[in-house]
Amino acid sequence: MLELIDLHRRFDDVVALDGVTFTVPEGTIVGFVGANGAGKTTAMRIALGVLAADSGEVRWNGRPVDAAARRRFGYMPEERGLYPKMKVHDQLVYLARLHGLARADAERRADEISETLGVQGRAGDRVETLSLGNQQRVQLAAALVHEPEMLVLDEPFSGLDPVGVDALAGVLRRQSENHGVPVVFSSHQLDLVERICDAVVLIDRGRVMAAGTIDELRAARARRLVRVEVAGADGEWFASLPGARLDATVPGGVVLELADDLDEQRVLDLARGSGDVTHFSRVRPTLAELFREVVQT
Amino acid sequence: MSEPAPTDRGAWLLVARRDFRVRLRDKGFAISTAITLSVLSAFILIRAYAGGGTPSYELGVVGAASAGAPAAALARQQGIDLTVRAFPDEAAGRGALSDGDIDALLEGERLIGQRDVPAELTDVVQAAAVAERIRAALDEAGLPPDRLAQALDPRPVRVGTVEPPDPNRDSNAAVAFIGVILLYGQLFGYGVWVATGVIEEKASRVVEILLSAISPRQLLAGKVVGIGTLGIVQLAFIAAFAIGLSMLTGALSIPASAVGAAALVLAWFVLGFAFYAGLFAVSGALVSRMEELQNAMVPINIVILVSFFISVGALQDPDAPVVVIASLLPFSAALAMPVRIVLGAATAPQIAASVIILVSSTLLLIPLAGRIYAGAVLRTGARVRLRDAWRAAG
Repeated sequence: MLELIDLHRRFDDVVALDGVTFTVPEGTIVGFVGANGAGKTTAMRIALGVLAADSGEVRWNGRPVDAAARRRFGYMPEERGLYPKMKVHDQLVYLARLHGLARADAERRADEISETLGVQGRAGDRVETLSLGNQQRVQLAAALVHEPEMLVLDEPFSGLDPVGVDALAGVLRRQSENHGVPVVFSSHQLDLVERICDAVVLIDRGRVMAAGTIDELRAARARRLVRVEVAGADGEWFASLPGARLDATVPGGVVLELADDLDEQRVLDLARGSGDVTHFSRVRPTLAELFREVVQT
Repeated sequence: MSEPAPTDRGAWLLVARRDFRVRLRDKGFAISTAITLSVLSAFILIRAYAGGGTPSYELGVVGAASAGAPAAALARQQGIDLTVRAFPDEAAGRGALSDGDIDALLEGERLIGQRDVPAELTDVVQAAAVAERIRAALDEAGLPPDRLAQALDPRPVRVGTVEPPDPNRDSNAAVAFIGVILLYGQLFGYGVWVATGVIEEKASRVVEILLSAISPRQLLAGKVVGIGTLGIVQLAFIAAFAIGLSMLTGALSIPASAVGAAALVLAWFVLGFAFYAGLFAVSGALVSRMEELQNAMVPINIVILVSFFISVGALQDPDAPVVVIASLLPFSAALAMPVRIVLGAATAPQIAASVIILVSSTLLLIPLAGRIYAGAVLRTGARVRLRDAWRAAG
């Protein structure tokens, strides 16, 4: 389990992190979501030790992270980077060895991960000669080659086509489910985060605004909304119902915000009394809507 | 899965090995080695076959060979190799002259060359003629033969030195000259390689991945050691080549002293490179693109270049105050001190002081350079100010 505890970091006058705290439990995939400049990359760099925090602590399995623990992390920085003139296999072996693997293990793992990610045929090619898609795969291989116990990926999905997205999602899923590796990744693609992640952390201007599973966030944050479509009723059929407020008009019906003490079944009863109910559903806010709501408050 | 080693100690060795190999296979390395070897070969061959040695001349005389005897005798006394060849008439002599068989032709009291007459040959012939006239005049005046011989002694002034002369001085100056040029090229070239190596990793952004595995100091140490080791290997190879060629061609009289000088150059390369490498690494870390590197390196370039010129000047006067000071200051010692040592001008306390100053300033500099490097190497975009880099790493 990775814990970031009350991290603070300033760059000159800019406060990048203002008390960031969250955890990435074993075997879970955590999506790290925030606008540009919210502090995602800074937090990840601090977790990886490439940047120092002004204050706060990063703990791994209950102990402060040291260099030895960090060497077992896998990292994919937002600014992708490999030696352009180095051959794929040599590069993976070199990085594996920097992470502490013996030569034979490094060779074996470089072959394995190349095969897993479908770049084994390119082992002898220099990175600069590969297509962007293959470079991206090698980049991921570089993060995975030493069998990391923890994965930190900064915008891993950016630049991938839909096939690549599915492949990467599958790899992350396997890492997390089969090996129990905690995974945290940042992304702007909120639909993707919603689909892949077990939990999300919403960060805004250096502060964590919300953290938990998406259902928890919905429960904690979202208003109770129902969408009702009634054929043959006038537009104000719900006016007599205390605790129901018009949130939005949608084609063929309305979205109502319900007060906490108003049972949705009473809304349905009233609707059926007003005409033929053609549609009645809870409105589950998307992660994007939750995010917008959190960031605005 | 095997357990990774508990620390990154030793990661520098992996970095060093990579940097060494990558540059060993670099085309630039092969080219620079080839250029150095060919320049050096040319220098040695010219020295062996063109310069040095006793000059030799062929002087033709018209008539009896005895006409050239006084000039030949004087030349022998002066260590000049002069052969006299007699020709029956002027035409035969002129023919030999135009064929290049003789350097000049003496016709009675005229000395004739094809296009010019070698100055040394002219001097000898003139001096011999003057001496003959004086001899004839004094003989006529009735001077006794022993007084005559005394008056005509061509070397009445005795020449000596206060200290015993160094028979290898010329040879040593040549070795020192080659040594200082090699040292300059090597310190500068390999320093630039450290700087460009830092920028390569910065520009390709691979540095962030590296630093997630190992510390900046391990990365910097590995880079400096790897590139420096290649510099040592290349220098040793060049020195061995040069000494071998010199021995084959006889350009150097004392191979043993050349081997000593080569060892000296290697040792001072290690000291100088250790001092400069950190500075080059910092200048690389402060910028993000190769184009900006030239500007960032200007201060180091100037320091090395000035040290180089002072050291070349030291070949003429190794005891000039500016040279002595330069051989003690850490910025210039690696170039100036070896020259003074090879020329035999440096005293033991001076050498000791120079080494101590250089090593201790290197030891002071390494952590400073390491800190600035760590603070700057992840910053991309605009050039990083030293002060910001310093604070960023705090």
